[in-house]
Amino acid sequence: MAKFKETAMHYVFLLTACVSIAAVAVICVYLLANGIPTIAEIGLGNFFGLTWKPSQNLYGIVPFIVGSIYVTAGAIIVGVPVGILCAVFLARFCPRRLYQVLNPAVRLMAGIPSIVYGFFGLMVIVPVVQQLTGTSGKGLLTASLLLGIMILPTIIGTAEPALRAVPQSYYEGALALGATHERSTFTAVLPAAASGVMSGVILGVGRAIGETMAVIMIAGNQARMPGGLLDGLRTMTSNIVLEMGYSTGLHRQALIATGVVLFVFILIINTCFSLMKRRSET
Amino acid sequence: MKKILALMLALTLVLGLAACAGNNDQSETNQTETNQTEDTAAPETGDETAADAETDAETEGDTAAAMSGPITVISREEGSGTRGAFVELMGVETDEGDMTTVDAEIANSTSLVQSTVAGNSNAIGYISLGSYDASAVKAVKVDGVEVSVDTIKAGDYAVSRPFVVCYKEENLSELGKDFVSYIMSAEGQAILSEEGYIAADDAAESYTAAGLSGNLSINGSTSVGPVMEVLAEAYKALNPDVVIDVQQTGSGTGITSAIDGSCEIGMSSRALKDEEIAEGLVPVTIALDGIAVIVNQQNPVEDLTSEQIQKIYIGEITDWSQLG
Amino acid sequence: MRSSNPAQPFPANASGNARTASEIMARARGQRYYSWVLKILVWLAALLTAGVILLMVGYILVTGVPNLTLDLFAWTFTTDNQSMMPALVNTVVMTLLTLLIAVPIGVGAAIYMVEYAKRGNKLVKLVRLTAETLSGIPSIVYGLFGMMLFNIAFGWSYSMLAGICTLAIMILPLILRTTEEALISVPDSYREGSFGLGAGKLRTVFKVILPPAMPGVLSGIILAIGRIVGESAALIFTSGSGKDNLMLGKTGNFFADLFAPLFQSTRTLSVHMYNLMSEGLHMEEAQATAVVLLVLVIAINAGSAHLAKKLTANGQG
Repeated sequence: MAKFKETAMHYVFLLTACVSIAAVAVICVYLLANGIPTIAEIGLGNFFGLTWKPSQNLYGIVPFIVGSIYVTAGAIIVGVPVGILCAVFLARFCPRRLYQVLNPAVRLMAGIPSIVYGFFGLMVIVPVVQQLTGTSGKGLLTASLLLGIMILPTIIGTAEPALRAVPQSYYEGALALGATHERSTFTAVLPAAASGVMSGVILGVGRAIGETMAVIMIAGNQARMPGGLLDGLRTMTSNIVLEMGYSTGLHRQALIATGVVLFVFILIINTCFSLMKRRSET
Repeated sequence: MKKILALMLALTLVLGLAACAGNNDQSETNQTETNQTEDTAAPETGDETAADAETDAETEGDTAAAMSGPITVISREEGSGTRGAFVELMGVETDEGDMTTVDAEIANSTSLVQSTVAGNSNAIGYISLGSYDASAVKAVKVDGVEVSVDTIKAGDYAVSRPFVVCYKEENLSELGKDFVSYIMSAEGQAILSEEGYIAADDAAESYTAAGLSGNLSINGSTSVGPVMEVLAEAYKALNPDVVIDVQQTGSGTGITSAIDGSCEIGMSSRALKDEEIAEGLVPVTIALDGIAVIVNQQNPVEDLTSEQIQKIYIGEITDWSQLG
Repeated sequence: MRSSNPAQPFPANASGNARTASEIMARARGQRYYSWVLKILVWLAALLTAGVILLMVGYILVTGVPNLTLDLFAWTFTTDNQSMMPALVNTVVMTLLTLLIAVPIGVGAAIYMVEYAKRGNKLVKLVRLTAETLSGIPSIVYGLFGMMLFNIAFGWSYSMLAGICTLAIMILPLILRTTEEALISVPDSYREGSFGLGAGKLRTVFKVILPPAMPGVLSGIILAIGRIVGESAALIFTSGSGKDNLMLGKTGNFFADLFAPLFQSTRTLSVHMYNLMSEGLHMEEAQATAVVLLVLVIAINAGSAHLAKKLTANGQG
């Protein structure tokens, strides 16, 4: 009887372990089964075209792909330097007292819902950009700033433990060779933690590209190829949320297909992430 | 090599800082001003007006004489009932389809249009009259006619559309029938006019509660949704055993759900298309709604012709100075 | 590359180089300058981050707190009071039910991976890979998937159950990963001791290994709660935006009241805030909701910090 219970539980645990595999499989199958026929129906040329006008059966999503890439790049430019330097600060420069305040604050930042970020962006960043630039204030610059802020906690949260995990001997060795505190940190400790810092950046990229509710309020959402830094643009995520409620038929299918393309992008980023991890492990 | 890298890092950071630091200072002043103006500003406008007032203070000098500057065109998203009605009535929609300029900013809600226009002195947008907030934005006259319940009722104001509920006869329960008759009764119509819409039937008969019970699902337009909730609440007060579920998903979804039977009653903020009626839907116009064309309160423009509005929305007029 | 850099302060072959004193002095000055710039940058970055956090929290509180009224916490939602109470109650209920599904699965999977699977097991690698994939998927994609599978294919339409199932898949990797780490950190001597005393595998897992790993598991659960509370994109397409307080019994029949809400549309606090902002006319209520959300997040963070402290205390003791 006890034996039976042991084996039964063994299989129960095995089953639970398979749930996440099943979940990924079902998600892949469902998205692709819905997405690929739609793309075929719309036509590859149309779907990867430049014009999105559902009322005229034009479903080109390239502007949104480019928009997502632009916004993510902007977020990287704003968020990555600040994030890495802030992680260095927390790991190596921060007085103990300050750390006890700043560390929870950064974690709080990670927990704030994206809808609140969007609200903040709409009420604070948009009017400021509008006054400084004389444009409507919604667009690539605003979105990059807000997303840069949003990915800060992700980057800091991953990079800081990686920096702390670097053996103290690296730092001490550099000091002994006559380098200053700063120089030892940046030339000995930071390179040693590079893979951890990079995975933080990649996680941040994933967050930036998948962000929806905040971007939709501040990006302008024009359905056209993004222009300059101050022009509005639409990302894949905002395209889905914007039009899902009103869409029917092929239009709705096209939006789901947009989600599939986004999913593929995320898969690529994830693959990069695990490749990088594997490389750092070997 | 490292030095160059470090330098580049430093440069991007400094740039980022310049942008953000400017931001922070600005927003802090913004915030304090928000606090100061909060007391004086009308309660329902809150921050938009505060931010707006700030913009105004700066631009006042420029805009006093004549309006100039690039027009920020705000539109609703493709498929929205408000947009559908607007482009049709304003002639933005031609045989080639909806010609709204691709440079138009897209907002997916009435409030986003309103708060964007309130915060941007160069913006123009359109919203449902029921949501129009005169303390935040300014509605312009269209062809010399001011937007109001009276002008729409008289047919003088051109930009109006029907609010429609639709259902399939065979899917409609006793309860659904009773609810529709409640909406069309004197009480229901009174609620609609109270909320700022134009009652479809001025001489409706009074409603007597039938004492029904059960569930009723209503789905559709986000423009009709808020007033439908008020109606549902009033109806529930009269018929306490009833559960009414109002989902705001958009006119398109509402109509499809009514056709495929996943909800009993669909709401639409535009007239039903012929092919939708051919599916067996029965449309009931419950009210009329005006679409207000709104600009920033600092904008001196008071009056636009429908031709000007059309040209703005198809992108032929891109600067306020072109309006003459 | 490293040795070719002339500014390098400690070249490997320093002893082989004949240098003048002035050269060394110049280098030291250069290094001082370089260090100074780095120091400033690091401090600036930290100040900037702190400034942004302060600004955000400050802005939310300043605009939101004056709008907090008792009406917003009325037990039922009406169009007059725009109460957030039903949303708050539903958030709690949805969180609990989601955890009820995700925690046993996540913990069970972690137990299998750490305690049962053999080293280098292919399945374990696959589970890790899929968990990583799941944790990277954006919530909007979860929303689309949940809508297609639960709402359309299963015919649940907008319902709390569809939202719960979607969320459960979303937080599964989080719980799996934290539990796995917590289990790994339990020393092998515990297992050996338990087996040595003649306990079976199952007994060892539940009586010996899980208790010391509990704080780790709990911190994973708290992270998951944070994610559920903040979620909006995955829910607007699955659980919809029903406003009723689903916990108010309607029919009087106990079982009907217990299960009927599962198939009704509901909204969490985040979705409530999104809807308030979309419908217009309710910006003050949205601001007040932001405050409540912020307070919730702070409470959750404080809870996890408390647990982390307990965890380290346990580890030492």
